[in-house]
This record gives sequence, C-alpha cells and structure tokens, in this order.
Amino acid sequence: MSSNKALEVRNLSAGYGDANVLNGISFDVPPSSIVALIGANGAGKTTFLRTVSGLLPMRSGEVKLYGKSLGDMPAYKIVEAGFALSPEGKQLFPEMSVEENLIVGAHNPNARKVRDETKREVFDLFPILKEKRNDPANSLSGGQQQMVAVGRALMAKPKVLALDEPSLGLAPIMVDRLFESIERIRQLDLAILIIEQNVFQVLEMADAGYVLENGEITISGSGQELLANEHLKKAYLGL
Amino acid sequence: MDLLLAAHIVKNGLLIGGIYGGVALGLSLIFGVMRIINFAHGSLLMVAMYLAWFLWKTLGLHPYVAAFITVPALFGLGYLIQSQIISHLFTREKALVVEPLSALLLTAGIFLVLDNLVLMIFGPDVRAVSVDIAYANFFIGEIPVNIPRFIAFVASIVVASGLSYWLKHSNMGRAIRATAQNRDAATMSGINVPFIYNVTFGLGVAILGLFGALLVPFFSITPTLGLSFGIKSFIVVVLGGIGSIWGCVVGGIVLGLFEAVASQFVTATSAAIFSFGLFIVILLVRPKGLMGKA
Ligand SMILES: Nc1ncnc2c1ncn2[C@@H]1O[C@H](COP(=O)(O)OP(=O)(O)OP(=O)(O)O)[C@@H](O)[C@H]1O
Ligand SMILES: [Mg+2]
Repeated sequence: MSSNKALEVRNLSAGYGDANVLNGISFDVPPSSIVALIGANGAGKTTFLRTVSGLLPMRSGEVKLYGKSLGDMPAYKIVEAGFALSPEGKQLFPEMSVEENLIVGAHNPNARKVRDETKREVFDLFPILKEKRNDPANSLSGGQQQMVAVGRALMAKPKVLALDEPSLGLAPIMVDRLFESIERIRQLDLAILIIEQNVFQVLEMADAGYVLENGEITISGSGQELLANEHLKKAYLGL
Repeated sequence: MDLLLAAHIVKNGLLIGGIYGGVALGLSLIFGVMRIINFAHGSLLMVAMYLAWFLWKTLGLHPYVAAFITVPALFGLGYLIQSQIISHLFTREKALVVEPLSALLLTAGIFLVLDNLVLMIFGPDVRAVSVDIAYANFFIGEIPVNIPRFIAFVASIVVASGLSYWLKHSNMGRAIRATAQNRDAATMSGINVPFIYNVTFGLGVAILGLFGALLVPFFSITPTLGLSFGIKSFIVVVLGGIGSIWGCVVGGIVLGLFEAVASQFVTATSAAIFSFGLFIVILLVRPKGLMGKA
C-alpha cells in the first residue's frame, strides 16, 4: 500500500456536543515533510489532532495514513498504524520515571521490538533525558517535560508525528533548542505535523502550512508563501 | 491487662487485619486504575466462598485445591462484568469519561443481583466447609496461631508483593499504571484502554477468588456476608490511601488491631461501630489516608 501522502485528510468534520468545530477540512502531509497547522486560539487545532488520534469521533470525512483509512480504528490501533501525537500540555505519566514514560510510548507491538534502539535515538536527541532517566516526570522543568512528551511519541515509531504546541510555556532559549531538535527529528525519515504559536519560527522551518479559521482551511501554501501572505502577517505575525 | 492477653489481642488483630488488607486489594486496584468504587466487591468475595464451598461439597475438593478453580473463575467473572456491563459507562462519545455516581449505582445493582441470586440458589442457611486444618495451630511461645488464618495472612503479603512487583516491572503492569495516571495519554501511547480495564477488573476480582477459598476453612458462609466485607474493604482502602497496595495492607492491619482491641471492651457488633469512628478520626487527621501522599 504505497502512497505519496503520509497523511491525507478529506472533508473532516468533528466537534463537541451539537456544535461542529471542524467543518470539512482537507489537506495533505507528504512523506518526510514538516507541515504546520496555524490557527487562532480555539480554532480547533487540538480538536483536529484528537480526532485523528481517535480520541474524538469523526463526524464525517476521512483520514488516511499512507493510504490506510484510520476512520474505523480504535485509538490504540491508530498509534500502531503509525500516527503518534505529542499532546498539548504534555500529558505525561506524572509519577513514572522519564524512562518509564518513554517505555510506555513503545507499547505497540511494532515499536516494542525496537524499543531499546529507539530509546537510544531519543536519548541522543535529548541528552538531558538520559541524565534524568530515573527521575519522576513531574520533577522535570517544563522544557524537559516537553522533551519527554516528544520522545514518548517518537518511541511509538510513528510514520507521522504530530506535535501540538510543543513550545508552549518554554523559555525562548528552550524554544530554539526544541526547534533544532525538530529539524533533527525530520532526518529520522518521518513526516511531522506541527501546531505552533510561534508562527514565524515554525513557518521558517515548515515545507508547507495551512491556516485553520472558522472550522475551515482558509489559506495554504509553502512556508515562505505563508510568511509573505498579507492576511497572515496581520492576523498571526503581528506585522 | 496482662501481657499474654495483650499478645493474644495483637495476634488476632494482625491476622484478621492482614486478611482484611488482602480482601481489599482488588477494590484498591480497581479504584486506583478506573476510579470506580465497586460496590459489589464484598458480594464477589461471597460468590467465591460459595464456589469454594460448592466444590468441596460436590467434588470433595479441599478449599486450597479449589483455589486453582476459584481464582480463574472469578477473574473471568470480573472480566465479564467489566466488559459486558460497566464498560458501557465508558464508551459514551468514545471519549472515556465515567461519572463516579453512575458507576456506584451500577455496581450496587450488581451487588443486589449477586446477593439475591445466591440466596435463590443456595437459600439463606449458613454453610461451612469442614476440613481438619481449621483447628490446626502452631505456637509462638505460649500463643497459639491458627494455621488457616496464618496462611490467609501470608497470602495477603504475598499477593501484595507480587502485585506491586508485577505492576512495576511487566509491560501489562506498566500499561495499567499508565492508564491509571493519565488515560488519554495511555490511549495516545497505543494502549488499548478498554482491554486494560477489563484485565484490571478481572485481576481485582481474581484476588477475591483466592481469598474466598482461603477464608472458607474458618469462616461460615451466608448470602449476605458480602456487604460487611465490602464496607470494611472500603474503610481499609480509604484508611491506607486510595490506590496504594501497601497502604491497603497497612490499613487492613490497623482496622484489624482496632477491632481486636475494641472487642475486649464491647461486643463485636459495637466494635464495628467503633471502627467507623476510627475511620472518621483518621481521615480528619490524614485526609489522604495513612500511606497516601499528602
Ligand atoms: N472538551 C471540550 N468540550 C467542548 N468544547 C470544547 C472541548 N475542547 C475544546 N472545545 C472547544 O472547541 C473549540 C476548539 O478548541 P481547540 O482546543 O481544538 O482549539 P485550538 O485551536 O487547539 O486552540 P488553542 O490554540 O487554544 O490550543 C473551542 O471553541 C473550544 O472551546
Ligand atoms: Mg490547542
């Protein structure tokens, strides 16, 4: 089942209660690319990722991962199929050690087989985690916890890695380091879908970007195109 | 009070307290992982005791042999109760939220069904298993220790140790702890949370399968014995600190010792009232239980 689309989203609708938050959005994430999803607070970016992850039911539309439909899969199968999420607000297992958090990330059978090897990759990427491997996750600083969240998602051996506001609450220096790490993760041969408040920084790095407004994708283009877009400059870059 | 009597009281309290702790382990595990208070906990112990008695009565199986049947049987029963009945509370909107009150009502319903079903099948008569070991003692100095009680006490410690170790070091145990700490994150890590719930509930109930078999040599059986065990287990779990395995054993021993002392001064039934008093006092002093993190 080959496909030139790592992730393919078609007419996806989702929401809570009676209201739809997403009204039929469509876009693609090509293999080995970084794609940014931009949107104001409450636009529905997190809702989108929770829906793709299977935590929230899809109301209509379709999501395919390398041609394989994720719609009917339970959430844990979606991880096994190759979609892993580093969620907004980190959502670590607070009383587990850093290492245990990572090990749990490799719960799915494919990932478990190569668990030790992936763990080494994650420790190479974030050496501080190796140092703190035996500390409980909730004793780490915000930036380190974010590394655990990203590392845990990587442990699942995903084909598509989704990052929901990885720089939230980090000091500027930590944000820079995190972005460097994301550039390096890209070399691990996976596609990255990233949501960020640091719109300028993320578009500098991204191959493509999509803007989510009122539950629809309103603007799309390469990172550079979006950086030059007048509406985007006003609404999101504060220029 | 003379020393020998004091030693007797401590021994009795320790033995029964350890057993309370062991019986409460499953309640603690289920609450710790699923945030469900299983009101049917005591009734499931009662069912296990009837099963052990029935196997002894019909097949002549010694209760310690019957444990090899009651443990898997109760695991299956727990797994079924969770996967067929309680799971419906979790699957609304696929978002895995459960309201504590609806779970309590549902398990209270299971308690009523089990108690009445057993009453219907076996009648209200008191049943007892009579095996020789019931009267066997060994001595620590001058103090006789009843062997089947001692075995049940040791089983509590062994089960608590085994469970802690397994939760800490196995993949399934780690997945159970992850689910307990953050169920959405567990799902996002590829853990099949509904399955983890089924296994956890099954395990919690399987422990009752063991204690059902271990209790029958020295504990007579009626269809209504579940409730008092259920309430005591609840007290033990809250005393020890919710979700803490060793807290459960400690909570059981505290309750057992307290009851043993109180029963020197008042009748056993009023001693039960005093244990509620103790319960309230401890919670006032340590709201998170004896071993709970403040
Ligand atoms: N659990 C929920 N129940 C009901 N409504 C919700 C829930 N979570 C989010 N919403 C609503 O859905 C809309 C989209 O929220 P979402 O969290 O997806 O936005 P977002 O784009 O991720 O925002 P942010 O940038 O603040 O993270 C918001 O109006 C929010 O209030
Ligand atoms: Mg969000």
